[in-house]
Amino acid sequence: MAAGSEVYVLGGYQTDFSRNWTKENKHFSALMRESVRGALESCEIAPEEVESAHVGNFAAELYCMQGHLGAFFTEADPAFSGLPTARHEAACASGSIALLAASAEIEAGRYDLQAVVGIEQMKTVDSELGGSYLGTAAWYEHEAEGISAPFPKLFGKLGDEYDKRYGLKDEHLAEISKINYANAKLNPNAQTRTWYMNKDHALCRTDDNPAIGGRVRISDCSQVTDGAVTLFLASREYAEKWAKGVGKKLSEIPRIKGWGHNTARLKFADKIAESANDQYILPHVRSTITSAMKRAGLAGIDEIDGIETHDCFTTSEYMAIDHFGITAPGESWKAVEEGWLEIDGKMPINPSGGLIGAGHPVGATGCRQVLDAYLQVTEQAGAYQVEGAKNFQTLNIGGSGTTSVSFVVGR
Amino acid sequence: MSTPMSAAEMRKILATRKIERVVVLGANGTMGFGSAALFTTAVPEVTFLARTKAKAEEGLAAAIKQVRSPTVADRAKTGDYETDLAAAVAGADLIFEALTEDLAIKKDIFDKIEAARGEDSIVATVTSGLSINALCEGRSESFRRNFLGLHFFNPPNVIVGTELIAGNDTDSEVADFVDAFAQIRLGREMVRTFDTPGFAGNRVGFKLMNECAQLAGEYGPLLVDKLIGPYTGRAMTPLATVDLVGWDIHRAIVDNVYENTDDEARETNKLPAFMAKLMDQGVLGNKTGGGFFKRDGKKRLVLDPATGDYTPEDEIKLPDLGYIDEVSAFHRDGRYKEGMAVFLNAEGEYAKIARGVIAGYIAYAFERVGEVTETIDGIDRIMGLGFNAAPPSVLVDAFGAQGVVDMIGEAGLAIPQALSEAAKSGKPSRFFNNRRINVGRFFVAG
Repeated sequence: MAAGSEVYVLGGYQTDFSRNWTKENKHFSALMRESVRGALESCEIAPEEVESAHVGNFAAELYCMQGHLGAFFTEADPAFSGLPTARHEAACASGSIALLAASAEIEAGRYDLQAVVGIEQMKTVDSELGGSYLGTAAWYEHEAEGISAPFPKLFGKLGDEYDKRYGLKDEHLAEISKINYANAKLNPNAQTRTWYMNKDHALCRTDDNPAIGGRVRISDCSQVTDGAVTLFLASREYAEKWAKGVGKKLSEIPRIKGWGHNTARLKFADKIAESANDQYILPHVRSTITSAMKRAGLAGIDEIDGIETHDCFTTSEYMAIDHFGITAPGESWKAVEEGWLEIDGKMPINPSGGLIGAGHPVGATGCRQVLDAYLQVTEQAGAYQVEGAKNFQTLNIGGSGTTSVSFVVGR
Repeated sequence: MSTPMSAAEMRKILATRKIERVVVLGANGTMGFGSAALFTTAVPEVTFLARTKAKAEEGLAAAIKQVRSPTVADRAKTGDYETDLAAAVAGADLIFEALTEDLAIKKDIFDKIEAARGEDSIVATVTSGLSINALCEGRSESFRRNFLGLHFFNPPNVIVGTELIAGNDTDSEVADFVDAFAQIRLGREMVRTFDTPGFAGNRVGFKLMNECAQLAGEYGPLLVDKLIGPYTGRAMTPLATVDLVGWDIHRAIVDNVYENTDDEARETNKLPAFMAKLMDQGVLGNKTGGGFFKRDGKKRLVLDPATGDYTPEDEIKLPDLGYIDEVSAFHRDGRYKEGMAVFLNAEGEYAKIARGVIAGYIAYAFERVGEVTETIDGIDRIMGLGFNAAPPSVLVDAFGAQGVVDMIGEAGLAIPQALSEAAKSGKPSRFFNNRRINVGRFFVAG
C-alpha cells in the first residue's frame, strides 16, 4: 500500500456460529443488528462516528428472500440513516471483497471509519436445496444443475488432481479435519464445539461418515452456518484518535498490511487445464497469497506466525498448505505429518477451527478470518491463542478456487 | 480459587502429566456413558465399568449411539467392579466416578478405588451436588489431595459448561491441571465453585424451575411455561426442562439444597406436594412417558396437578398474554432491550407473576456470590453455558439496574447490594463483560 494510506483494524464482533436463527425465530435483521451493535460496543465506537458501511453476502435473495442488504445496515442504529452503504458479492469470498472495497475507500481518503459486515443465514432451507443454492457459486448450468451436492464433488476433484500429480492419502485429509475440530473446541463461537470428532471418526468409512463428493466425506466438509461478523476499519488519523480514547498506542493497533486478489476462470475443469504445466494446481490462488505477502513487505511464509485459511473442504486446506509455501508443491502431507499445523506447531493453520470447525456462513467467512487474525495479533484469542503472534494471513476463496482474496494482518 | 489461565499457561500445565487411561465407574448411567464418550475424544483408552460387564457393554452401546460414532469402541474397554476394577483403576491416570447420587454407594466404591489406585492418579466425581469434602472424608492424604468434583451437565458431549469443585485438601496443582485438561482437550467452559449443596448451577438453576413447579400447582403447567417462556431468556421452558431432566433428579437436587441450606429463598426449593404424590404413582417425566406434559400422537397433553389427569393443550383456555407477543416481536428483530422494556412495564396479574420469578432468579444469584462462586461471573457462565438460560448479569443489562431493582421490589424481595448500588450510581454501566459470549442467543422469540 502507498505510504500514508494505512488501513487499521480496530476490532469487531462475531455471532456464535452454532446458533440457528430460524430456531430462535429471528429475522435476518436481528443477525445483522447483533453483529453490528456487538462490534460498536466491543470497540467502544459511537454509532455517529461511522461514515460508511460495506456488506458482504452471497445469496440472501435465495436463502432469506431478501435483497438490498446495504440498506439493512441502517436498521442497526438510528444514527446510520443516510449513510453511504453497499453490498458486495463474490460467492464464499464476499466478506473479503467487502473488506477490499472498504479499505480502498480509506486508502483513497474518502472516509476515515468504515463498518464492514459479512453475513449469511443458511439454515432456512434443507440441505439439498441449500446445496443447490451453493451451486450458483460455480457455473450453475455446466457444473451444478441437477447435481446433488455440487461443491463437495468439485473439491473432491481437487483432491483427485493432487492424487494424480503428486499422490494423496486420505489419512492426511483426516488429520486436517481432526485438527480443525479440535481447535474449534477452544473457540466459544465455533459451530462444531460440541460435535464428536477424532481421527478415527474422520477415517471412518461407514454410514456414520458417508462419502458425498468422491473422496470427500462428511468429516471433510465445512458446515452450513448462520452467522455474521462486523469489523471496523479506519484511517491512520482516526485510528490515532481512537487509540488515545481507549488508552492504547497506535503501534498496538493492527493494520491490514497487505492484500492479494485474483479471479480465475469459473469452471473447475478450465482452471485445471490452465495449470497443467504449473507446479501449483491453482496458480491464481498462489499469486493471491504471494502478492499479499509482498504488499505487506514480507519476504515469505517464514514471517507469518499463523494462518486462517479457507478449508471449505479438507482438500482446500491441503491445497493451501503448499500454495502458502509451507512445503514444496505437492508435499503438503509433510506439514500434516510433522504436526506443524497445530496451534503450538511451526505454522498453525485455523486455530479458530476454520470453516470445518468454526463454521462457514458463506458471506461472513472472509470477515471472520480477518477478525480472528486481529484477535491473534492482539493476544485476545483466548484458548486458541497462538503464542506471540505478530503477523497472521488469511485466504478466502469463492467458488472452486475462482475468486481468491488474502490479507496480512499484523502490528 | 484461581484466576483464569492463558492458553500458554494451560499448555504448559498440560505438559506436566499425561491422561492416557481413564476409568469411568457407573458407565451404564446417563452421566457415566456420556462422560466416557466425551473422554474418548481426547484419551486413547477409556474403560467403562459397571456392576456387571453386560451393564458396562450397555453403557458403551449408549455412548456410541449418543455421539453417533462407532469409533468410540476403538478406544473403549468394558468390565465389572468385581473382576476388572482393581486392574483398571491401578493403571488409570484419571478415575471418574458417576454412580448414583448416594453418599453410601459412592463411599463404598471409593473403598475399592483407594485400595487399587496409583499414588498420582486423579479421582474425580461427577456428583451434581453432594459435598466433595464429605465424599473424601477419612480417606488417605494421597486420595484427598488428588480428589475433586468435575461436574459435567447432561448430556456431557453437548453442554460445555462444567463445574470444578476443589475440596479443602485438593492439591491446587491437580485442580489447575484438570481445569486445563478440560478446557484444552475436552473443550469445556470451566467454572470454579465452592463446595456447597448443588454448587452454583443447580443451586441457582433448579431454584427457578422448582418455583415454576410450585406455581404450576396454582396456575397449571401450560400457563406457567408460557409466562416463564423463551422470551424471558431461555431456550427451553422451565417445566419442559424438569420433564426432560426427570422428576427424580429434580427432586434429589432441590431436596439436597432444601435440607442443607438456610437462605432467604429456602421455601422456593421445597418440592411441591403434588409432585411427591405423583412420583409415588410412578410419574418421573419424559422417561416414564410424561410429567407436566405428555405426548399423545401429535397432540400435547397438559397435567392437572390437582387430579393427576391430562387435558389436551388446545382445550385449555389461557388469559390474554398479548404483551408476550409484543416482546417476541422485538426479539425477532434483535431489539432485546426494547423487548425486555415491554416485559418490565407490562400490566396485569400475569406479567407480574412472570416478573416475580425472574426477579427472584436474579436476586437469588446475586445473593449467592461469595457463597457458591467467588464472583457473579461464575454463576453467569454456568447459567449461560450449562443451562442455556440468560445469565443473571445479562438480564440486569437488558432491564437496566434500576429496572431490576424495581422488579425485585415489586416481588417483595430484598435487593442485593450490588444491584441497589448500581441503580444509585449508574456503575458499573454493564454487568456482563464476556464479549465472546453472544447475549442475544438467550432471548428467543416465542
